[in-house]
Formats: sequence, C-alpha cells, structure tokens
Amino acid sequence: MSTLFRIAMRNLLKNRRRSLTAVMAIAMGYAAVNVFGGFTRYINSNLRDSFIYNQGNGHLSIFREGFLEKGLLDPGKYLLTKSETDSLLATLRARPEVFLATPQLFITGIVSNGAASTIFIGAGRVPSDADAMRQRAPGMLGRLTPFEGRALRDDTPAGVGLSEGLAGLLDLKVGDGAIAVAPTIDGQINALDAEVLQTFEAAVDLLNDKLMYVPLQFARDLFATQRADRIIVMLEHTSDTEPLRQELEAAFHARGQPFELRTWEDLSQLYRKVRQMFDIIFLFLFIIVLVISVMSVVNTVNMAVMERIREIGTLRALGMRQTRIVLLFALESAALGVVGSLVGAGSTLMVWFGVNLAEPTWVPPIITARIPLEIYLVPEYLIGAFFFLLALAMTSATFPARRAARQEIVDALGHV
Amino acid sequence: MTLVELQQVEKTYHLGMSRIPALRDVNLTLDRGAFAAVWGPSGSGKSTLCNLVGTLDVPTGGRVIIAGQDVSRLGDDARADFRNRTLGFIFQTFNLIPVLSALENVMLPLQIPGTPGVQARPAAAGWLERLGLGTLLDHRPDQLSGGQRQRVAIARALVADPSLVVADEPTANLDSDTALEIVNLLRDINRDQGTTFLISTHDERLLGRVDRRILLRDGRIVEDTQMHSPGKGAP
Repeated sequence: MSTLFRIAMRNLLKNRRRSLTAVMAIAMGYAAVNVFGGFTRYINSNLRDSFIYNQGNGHLSIFREGFLEKGLLDPGKYLLTKSETDSLLATLRARPEVFLATPQLFITGIVSNGAASTIFIGAGRVPSDADAMRQRAPGMLGRLTPFEGRALRDDTPAGVGLSEGLAGLLDLKVGDGAIAVAPTIDGQINALDAEVLQTFEAAVDLLNDKLMYVPLQFARDLFATQRADRIIVMLEHTSDTEPLRQELEAAFHARGQPFELRTWEDLSQLYRKVRQMFDIIFLFLFIIVLVISVMSVVNTVNMAVMERIREIGTLRALGMRQTRIVLLFALESAALGVVGSLVGAGSTLMVWFGVNLAEPTWVPPIITARIPLEIYLVPEYLIGAFFFLLALAMTSATFPARRAARQEIVDALGHV
Repeated sequence: MTLVELQQVEKTYHLGMSRIPALRDVNLTLDRGAFAAVWGPSGSGKSTLCNLVGTLDVPTGGRVIIAGQDVSRLGDDARADFRNRTLGFIFQTFNLIPVLSALENVMLPLQIPGTPGVQARPAAAGWLERLGLGTLLDHRPDQLSGGQRQRVAIARALVADPSLVVADEPTANLDSDTALEIVNLLRDINRDQGTTFLISTHDERLLGRVDRRILLRDGRIVEDTQMHSPGKGAP
C-alpha cells in the first residue's frame, strides 16, 4: 500500500498543473455546496424561527377536532371551552419540555376609524405570552422589535396593533382610536372601542391590509365568549415537537378527547414552499457540482492513464494484480478529493468569515425587519460533502483505471 | 533439469479479418541455469516467444509449462502472482517507474507481494551496490544514463531471486561499450547465481556469449544450437 501511495502522490506532484485543475474543480464544488447549503440552512432556520417565535405560533397548536375545516362556519361549535382550555393548559404546563402554553382566539370583523371601515383578521393573544415567545427567538430575531409604537399589554385590553397596510387604509396612527365590529358566536353584532398602540408589517403581503394583533381578552369580549380556538405550545427544544405531538395525540385518542394537533411545519405553508424551492435549487446545484467534479476527475485520471499505459504494463509484468492498478489510480483520485475538499473547506471558511466581517443586511421573506445576512457552517454538509466528493472521485477513477488495468500486458508494454 | 517446456505452442494474432500466425507448433525445453538466446529476423516471433514464456501473454494453442506448472491455464491473478514469484524481466526500453528512485524501483518486485520496506530496502540496495550503482540509490531514472538504467532494471529483475529472467532485446538501446558491459554482467550473474536467462536479441556480441541459440523464422524454430555447457559459456 505504501508503494502504491508513493507512486500515486509522486505522479500527482509530477503533473502539478493538471492536479491543481482537478483540485480547484473539486474545491469549488465543495465550497459551492457548503456556502449555498449554509445559506439555505440560514433561510430555513429564520423562516422556522420567525413562524414559531416572532409570529407567536409556537411549535404545536391544539384545536378542537374539525376546527380547521369547519370552524369558520360555526365557531361556537368548534371553540375550546373554558374548562377544556384550563385543563389542557394545566397538563401542558406541567411537562418539562414545554416552555409555554397559551390560549389564542382568532377573530374576523370590520374595523372603522369613524368615517371608513374595512375588514380585519385579528389574532387574539395574551400579550405577555406573545412577548415571551418573541424574546425566546434565537439570535437576532429575539432582539428585534417588530413594530412601531408600544407593546400590547395584558392590562390594556383595548390596546391593539394594526398591520401597516390596514393602518394606512384607515389613516390610523399610533395613539388613534378605532372601533372593531364583529358578530359574536351567537350571531349578534358587537362593537368595541380600541386604541392603536402599534403598527407592524405583516409577514405575508396578503395580510398586510387586514391583520390586527389584539389582546386575547379583547377578542373574547368582541366574540362575547371566554373560549379559545387554539392552545399554542412552545417547547424548550424544537426537536421535541414530533415526539410530543405523537404522545399527546395518543393520549387524546386514549381518553376520547376531541382534539387535534398541528406542528409548526404543518401550519407554515410558506416555510414548506420556500424550503422545497431551496431544496430544488440545492439539488440542481448539487447535480452541476457533481457533473463538473466527475468530469474533472475522469479527465485527470484518463490523461494519467493514457500517459502511463507502459507503466501499467510494467507493473503488471512485475506481478501487480489488476485490482491493485485500479487501487493506484483510485488513490490518486482520493488524494485529489481530499485536497480539493480541504481547499474547498478553506474557501467556505473564507466566505463565511468575509460575510461575518462585511455584515450585509436584508429583509428576507416573512421576516419584517432588516436582519444580517448570514451563512451557517453546517457540520453535516461539511463532513458529508467531504466523504461524498471523496467517494465520487474514487468511483470516477475506477472506470478508466479498470479499462487500463484490463488491457493486454503485451499491448501496454508496446504502447508509445 | 527442465525449467521451461513449450508443447506445440501456437500463437495467432487477429488484425481485423486477418489472422496472423506469430508462432507455429513450437516445442522447446529450457533447463535450469540455461543462458539461451532467441534470435532471428524481425517478425520471426522472438518477442512473442518471450512473452509466452514470461506469462505476459497466453498461447492460442499448446501448453507453456514453467517449473512444473502449466501457466497457460492460470487465471489473471494467479499468473500475476506466478510472474512475481518466479520470473524477472529486462526490457529493451528499461521500463523503470519514472517517479521512483533507483532503489525504490528495485524494491518494487518485493513490495508488490507485501514484503515490508525494512526487508526490501537492504536487498534492493545490495543488488544495486553489486551492479556498481551504490552511489545512485536515490537517483530517479531521468537522472541516470542508459547503461545505469538498464543496470537498475537488471537489479529489479533479480532482486526477488527468480527462477527465470526473460530479457527482450536488453542491449538494443545501449551504445556498444555499455551493451558489452551489460552482456558481461548478465553472463556473470548466470554463472555466479545459476539464474536461467532467456534472451531475445539481434546483438552478435550477446549471441557470442550464450550457451544456446534458438533461431526462429516465420514463427518456427528452425535451428537450436547448444554452444557451451550451461553455466560454462564463453568467457
């Protein structure tokens, strides 16, 4: 093995320019996969964290069975009762993996400035719980103040937040008064005075002229109920989401409780779509990298094989088996793969360092504030790409090397 | 004692639709310790004969038996192992591995079957010193003269103590003085070590030193002359 290794390394060094070309092709492929993969991971993480923490959707949502399909038509039938809500909250809050469990009630109605009115969708949340969830967001997201004005307060039930488009439509500013009108769950019309405490940009453009954040009590008062339509559960660790969902589902089923669970991923359609889009882009990039790396290594090995047919014949004449000849070229390719990946890892680190140094900022989808653009170093990509490119390089070398090793020794020795 | 035996050996090459017979019904035996030359005009089948005896090629018909083993029936790996254990080769163009030093080239036949470097190194160095290359162990082939390269090739052929050395035109690429040196060297090794040599050559000086001359013409042995007793050839 040491002899093969020696021959392989010296041949690579002998043809420095050719080896360098192959190394650079592999390195660029490695860096492209890791930089783009790191950017994709950053996007996905931020989308996920924005949905879970900043928008206050938590990791798990518990509804009465059928609410998501028919709740709008007959809210009274599908809301959680107060005793159900209290019981669920007590159970959930006792679990060590639960950071926070809070009820919410979403309402729809008409909001007016006294002269003009328009429809709204209101998310009724416990303001202190919504703040606690937002502040728990990792990194920069946790430090963002995603509104202008003042925070909503538990003790100010009439204080509401308006999306910027909605505030613009009604020409309402922070400190102005408004009237919210909506049917109660019994079908009566109800109206409540509200004070605009804040304006914010909705994460989804379509909602930017409709969305209101209101205290849960405001929503309950407007709907004339003490019920909630969902329990939001925020966990200590996102990785606990699926196990807890399964456990709770089994418990509800065993007790005959008519609740259904949705994970943050079930509910965040945008996250799924963006993630799918990036996965497809990543796949395309990966295929391009694959083709370039394979072609580069195959070309390098092909040239090496063609130049060294006589050498192969000599080694075979001296008693080297065909498999060892293949191994010789596989070692050369493996060395190209290893060095290429290491150079690629260095390039990835340089890009990562450069981005950290330059600190560019941008407004990504569904995050409403300008945040730093980052590229994550993803260990599984760094390690996976290394072994993948190594295997790819060795496999690419196998075909030309096998062809050369199988050549008749006499023909190989006579090769000019 | 017979080392090599060829029984009704045929070798035919195919070139497109044409069949080109290179050897026809060749019967030959070679005793241990022989110092024999195969000679004849170009295209007479000298190299083909050496290739078959060297197990670098397989006959179209007949049998090639070396050291009691029918090598024409061995599989590729078994033939490779057999070559490594039993045969040494000296090529017209030296065929040294360019990226290895003289010492590493000579170590190769030992290291291919897995002999550790600590054992292979002194054996290889010993042969190179014996052939007058003791100061050039670390030189690469491109830093050596033609004669020096062929000495390295000879050391490589002998380092694993083969039963038979097959040499294909070993002096063809050397100047006269160097060629004579190489001829004398091979002769001395044959005499001192008892190594069997089968040499394909045109070189009259070499032909004058061998114990036996096998003349080939059109793929047939037309003359087989014993010049001297094996191992006691011309001085």
